[in-house]
Amino acid sequence: MNYTFDFSSIAIGPLLDGLFVTIQLTLAANVIGIVAGFVLALLLMSPFAIVRVPFMLFVEFFRCTPAIIQVVWFFYCVPMLLDVFLDPLMMGILALGLNLTAFNAEAYRASIQGVPREQRDAGIALGLNPLQRIRYIILPTAFRESIPVLLTNGIGIFQQSALVAIVAIQDLMYEGKTLATATYRPIETFTVVALIYFAVSFPVSQVVGLIERRRALAAA
Amino acid sequence: MVASSPLVKMQSLHKSYGDGAVQVLKGIDIEMKPGERLVVIGPSGGGKSTLLRVMMGLEQIDSGSITFAGQPYVSSASREKKTLIDTEVRRSIGMVFQHYTLFPHLNILQNLVLAPRKVRNEPKASAEARALSLLERFGLAAKARAYPAQLSGGQKQRVAIARALMLDPKLMLFDEVTSALDPELVSEVEHVIMQLADQDMPMMIVTHDMWFAKNIASRVIFCAGGVVVEDGPPEQVLGSPREERTREFIERVFHIKQ
Repeated sequence: MNYTFDFSSIAIGPLLDGLFVTIQLTLAANVIGIVAGFVLALLLMSPFAIVRVPFMLFVEFFRCTPAIIQVVWFFYCVPMLLDVFLDPLMMGILALGLNLTAFNAEAYRASIQGVPREQRDAGIALGLNPLQRIRYIILPTAFRESIPVLLTNGIGIFQQSALVAIVAIQDLMYEGKTLATATYRPIETFTVVALIYFAVSFPVSQVVGLIERRRALAAA
Repeated sequence: MVASSPLVKMQSLHKSYGDGAVQVLKGIDIEMKPGERLVVIGPSGGGKSTLLRVMMGLEQIDSGSITFAGQPYVSSASREKKTLIDTEVRRSIGMVFQHYTLFPHLNILQNLVLAPRKVRNEPKASAEARALSLLERFGLAAKARAYPAQLSGGQKQRVAIARALMLDPKLMLFDEVTSALDPELVSEVEHVIMQLADQDMPMMIVTHDMWFAKNIASRVIFCAGGVVVEDGPPEQVLGSPREERTREFIERVFHIKQ
């Protein structure tokens, strides 16, 4: 190997500014995903096909198209089609937020349907009516069960958010690209960028692992 | 007259799964007097658990009816294929299940007070006071703030019993409540049920534990193939059964070869 690494020209300042934007994107998209995903999950379980089917299509759209196309499509097509012009960062948040909504809805739905039938039986035996059973037993149990998947999806969006760089949102990836071009040091720059993404993601994925190990212990 | 009127009267209960493909109850008639402790034994798939679940209003029936303390409780409207359950009557029945079914997101105290608070609008302070005294009685006071996952199987099952008692049931149903327990934990749960028996709590118990059946039952019912095969005092059904099928079953569970 005859390449000499030189990190001296990598300015960390712009990268941290980019990271700040990336974290804003991630947090805002997660707020949307966690709240709207829950509502969407309830709609997906509607007994009425006329309610259920359109929302199923919504979910499948996000699950079956590349995220990069979703971002681009949102950025260029939504303003044209709907005549709404939002701040680019807002557009990025919406695109990522809706993507996360679709995936979180599936996580919620799976855990709601995964609540054991015995829990329902216990609720009936205690005289709780159907609404009370949903409110006090099914939903809280399901929400707890879905936390590891929500965290995994949430940190996934943190990584996916790099896609918004292609529509000129000045996130970590965008700042990295700019810096790489300016310094002629793409290898060093993207190494640092990757390390920053890793440094944020890794602890969260460890937390997920910890929760899952504790669950496995509690279930044993 | 009043004293001898039945607490539970099941009439010709029929139930099948899968549009009549599998018949689990083929005409059950049982009358239970107040203060009786009915133990239902029998082979797996013989309809014992289904009987208890129907009694709790957890399962639909095809035909038949149940009255509770003289009031209509469960009946089937054959035309609409719908089971009518009086939910007010249902609230006077408590049930404990094989797999504890504690609510994992609530601590023990919260598990106990949830139903009294939501179903009866009982004030928090009074529900908690009652819950704590029940837990005290069952030797679980120290666990009030623990979560179900932190308890042993025996402790969980005792909490489940306490939780059911919070609603002052007039009848308790126990569906194989010791089957999932490690052998050394069985007696602590059975002991609690014995305590309830001492207070004349009417109960219906499905169990595979013949020792327990013998000790707690005031009457034993042997159920197989969806019908009541034998019904009598424990000395008869467990000791010297009159029916051939009962005898075979008892011999098998007691491992007695003649």
